[in-house]
Amino acid sequence: MFAVVKANIQEIIEGAKGAEIKESDSMRDFGADSLEIVEVVSRSMKQLKIKVPRTELSGARNLKDLLDLLEKFAAAAPR
Amino acid sequence: MAAPPRDPERRVVVTGMGVVTPLGERLDDYFEALVAGRSAITRWRSVEERCGSRIGGDMSGFDLEAHFRKAGDAYPASLVQSARKLMRPTPPTGRITAPASMQAFVDAGLPDPRLRPERFGHVLAGHNLNSNYVYEGHKVFLEEPEFIDPLYGVVSEDTDVLSVISELLRLKGPSFTVGGACASGNLGIMMGLDLLRSGRVDAVLVTGASNDLDPPSLHSWVIIEALSFRSFNDEPARASRPFDALREGFVPSQGAAAVVLETLAGARARGARIRAEILGASAASDATRLTKPDRGGQVRAMRGALEDARVAPGDVDYVNAHATSTPLGDAVEVAALKEVFGERVYRIPVNATKSMLGHCLSAAGLVELVATVLQMERSVLHPTINQERKDPELDLDFVPNEARPAEIRVAISNGFGFGGLNSCVVVGRPA
Repeated sequence: MFAVVKANIQEIIEGAKGAEIKESDSMRDFGADSLEIVEVVSRSMKQLKIKVPRTELSGARNLKDLLDLLEKFAAAAPR
Repeated sequence: MAAPPRDPERRVVVTGMGVVTPLGERLDDYFEALVAGRSAITRWRSVEERCGSRIGGDMSGFDLEAHFRKAGDAYPASLVQSARKLMRPTPPTGRITAPASMQAFVDAGLPDPRLRPERFGHVLAGHNLNSNYVYEGHKVFLEEPEFIDPLYGVVSEDTDVLSVISELLRLKGPSFTVGGACASGNLGIMMGLDLLRSGRVDAVLVTGASNDLDPPSLHSWVIIEALSFRSFNDEPARASRPFDALREGFVPSQGAAAVVLETLAGARARGARIRAEILGASAASDATRLTKPDRGGQVRAMRGALEDARVAPGDVDYVNAHATSTPLGDAVEVAALKEVFGERVYRIPVNATKSMLGHCLSAAGLVELVATVLQMERSVLHPTINQERKDPELDLDFVPNEARPAEIRVAISNGFGFGGLNSCVVVGRPA
């Protein structure tokens, strides 16, 4: 799951290209704008086939929070 | 009473041009293909089988990185770097259109610190630009709303193409889109002319956007028999045949073009190369929603443009016709040309860029203005190809099948759109 998110960050956020990405990082740390953050999250959800309600996403402060949400809703997703 | 002459300070000239079309992604390649009479029309590569339209000028394989590689050092490295970042989430229309604008900008010797971004306008000609992207987005939404492109609501807008190019080139003056179906390009040029004449801007980029065509629109054009869909699907290069007796309908194409316009005084002051002068332009409506062309409206557009240009019909020595290859449209345009030019019409060469390129819809006026200026500069008329069987009623000099030398001092370029939207632009060789 983290690998998918990291790959999307590397592709979409200019400042993250080639950088080491840790769970404690925020996408803002790499200079992402709000549209790029939405793009990373949406693309990751689509690739992982996980739907996290938008209201829940607004509370995520770093990648760890995002991964926790993806884990939580992956469990709820139909297989 | 004769109209007073134009203010010499506010004469409008072309200082930069760019093209990205299936016939070439640089001015020289584009011109060479036109003069050689090469057709851009192939089978569609990616339009679904159920769609009745099978052929067109297909740019679905356009690769921006390959374009930059081929361009070598034609673009400044910093501009390419910005374009890469901005184009990444941009749908195909913007990716094809932006490099045409970049070319025109660089061709005009820009950026130039003497032209302030706040006094540099941008007019983007065209509408319904991202319709295939919209169509694909709807299909995803029907499956699962959460999985649509999150930027859909931003990048599906026509104005996104305008704004992403303005950001790329730092154009901060008046910026807007101009829509007029297949007359959009000429109307964009007319708006650029008016912005400069009125003194609102010192320079303006006029961009003719590519259209990302959706299967429902294409199929509807088949149903109303506007497109070529019967006889030439297995010989696509023969399908676009304006004025020929076997013509069946227009052949849609993708592709974009752009020009930089400045006042003559401004261009001279900064030592810019002047490629041509936009002498005048006009638009006239038939006040109808119908797709049927009307001779009266076309005549009014041509006469209005000549009057605006302070040019007598007797001074025109070349016509770049709208000429889409529809049975009725070409016949009506020929009748309108006869009315405007009288007996002299038989001595004026009239050719159809669309015979090779197909119909670039929103960008048609721009790709044809660029073709007109290149022919003027190089004193060569490109042919109208696929002239095989003469239509007895269409008896003008269509420059059939072979290019030939010609001195062009004053040209007109016509653009007529669905819904009775008629337009004409008058172009002159630089004084």
